[in-house]
Amino acid sequence: MHNCKETRERFTELVLDGDPRAEKLLDQCEECRAEFESLTATLRMTTRLRETVAPTESYWTSYHAQLRSNLEQFHAKAQRLRHAKAQREELKPGLGFVFASLRQPLRLCVKTFLRPVPVPLGVALFAVGLVLALFGIRAPQQPATPPQAPAVVQVPVEVPTVQEKVVTQVVYRDRRRVSKPSKRVINSPTAESTIARSQDTLSGFKPTDEVKLTVIKGGSPNEK
Amino acid sequence: MIVSESDSDLVRRAQAEDIDAFCLLAERYARRIHLLASHYCRHAQDAEDLSQEVWLKAYQALPSFRFESSFYTWLRRITINAFLNHRRSSFFRRGGQTTAVQLVPIDMEAPETFHSSSPENIYNKLLFENVVSALAELTPSQRLSFLLRHYEGMSYDEIANAMNCSAGTVKKGVSRAIGKLRARLSPESEEPETLEFSNAQL
Repeated sequence: MHNCKETRERFTELVLDGDPRAEKLLDQCEECRAEFESLTATLRMTTRLRETVAPTESYWTSYHAQLRSNLEQFHAKAQRLRHAKAQREELKPGLGFVFASLRQPLRLCVKTFLRPVPVPLGVALFAVGLVLALFGIRAPQQPATPPQAPAVVQVPVEVPTVQEKVVTQVVYRDRRRVSKPSKRVINSPTAESTIARSQDTLSGFKPTDEVKLTVIKGGSPNEK
Repeated sequence: MIVSESDSDLVRRAQAEDIDAFCLLAERYARRIHLLASHYCRHAQDAEDLSQEVWLKAYQALPSFRFESSFYTWLRRITINAFLNHRRSSFFRRGGQTTAVQLVPIDMEAPETFHSSSPENIYNKLLFENVVSALAELTPSQRLSFLLRHYEGMSYDEIANAMNCSAGTVKKGVSRAIGKLRARLSPESEEPETLEFSNAQL
């Protein structure tokens, strides 16, 4: 049974692939055929455009000239880089070169020194070598240079200091108030007894001729 | 009678740093690469720069060509990578605006693309403008999928393999591109802007 939705979903593939089964599918539905033809016409138009829309020959001439110029620049740059790299390699030989140059002297040393020798000679050579080694070890122990002046190293030492502390204390001393007779309080009844008491102790008192009286009013020092 | 050299011979010569041989290869395939680039890029100058860049990259990578496929298949792979990288770089250059489409008078945009100003060529200009505008509404991946499928005849699997995506994604992109083209190129859906421009041209 024909299904329009499924058929139209396959349109793109049918058009682009040029599938011959398309005709069979489209025979069953006129709407699908119209849709398919519209799609084919669109793609045919773009194909025709691809063929007709092309740059002129003069464009291609300048295009290839530009491409050649770019390639030559790139080629020259690559050659310069290659040349510089080769020069660097010439200036800096690798480890292989060092080992190759050392191979021949090493082989000569092995041939010279690793030969079979008689036992007494070997013992004697071993003893000589041992003595030389002992001297070699002891030699650095003897002071070869005169003793140098001891180096002065300044080490900061902390010295304990006695810190005196001054303590200030206010001591209040109990002062006995000396009672002075006041002229003002003479008239008061309690003053009579005071006078009487003082008369007992004022034997031999001789009053002065002048009386100096100062009256203080209120508590303010400015008021007299 | 001049016998043209095969691609393989030219590639061997080019691998030995023969620029002339590489230029001969470029002359053979430059139009196909340029066609793809002109449909991929909105502006003619961008298309020319991109196609030149493809050839430089191909020359740079030529020593790695091992004759396991045809030269054009190898070149097409380089083209796809260059297009995708161009998309990324232009994405960053434009600060994230992937679709910057604007209508520019065709005579200013591609002065040397068309031969003369005959009515047929003017019609082709408008058609080309419509096709490129329709393609510009797609994402770069969808646009490239359509171009490779329709103009290059690659299978969905080949495109998916080249673009590192699934075949379903490619199918969707191609279908979407065809839908856009149909909407643009069908006679009943011409836009007022296009009509005004065509009147000015005619």
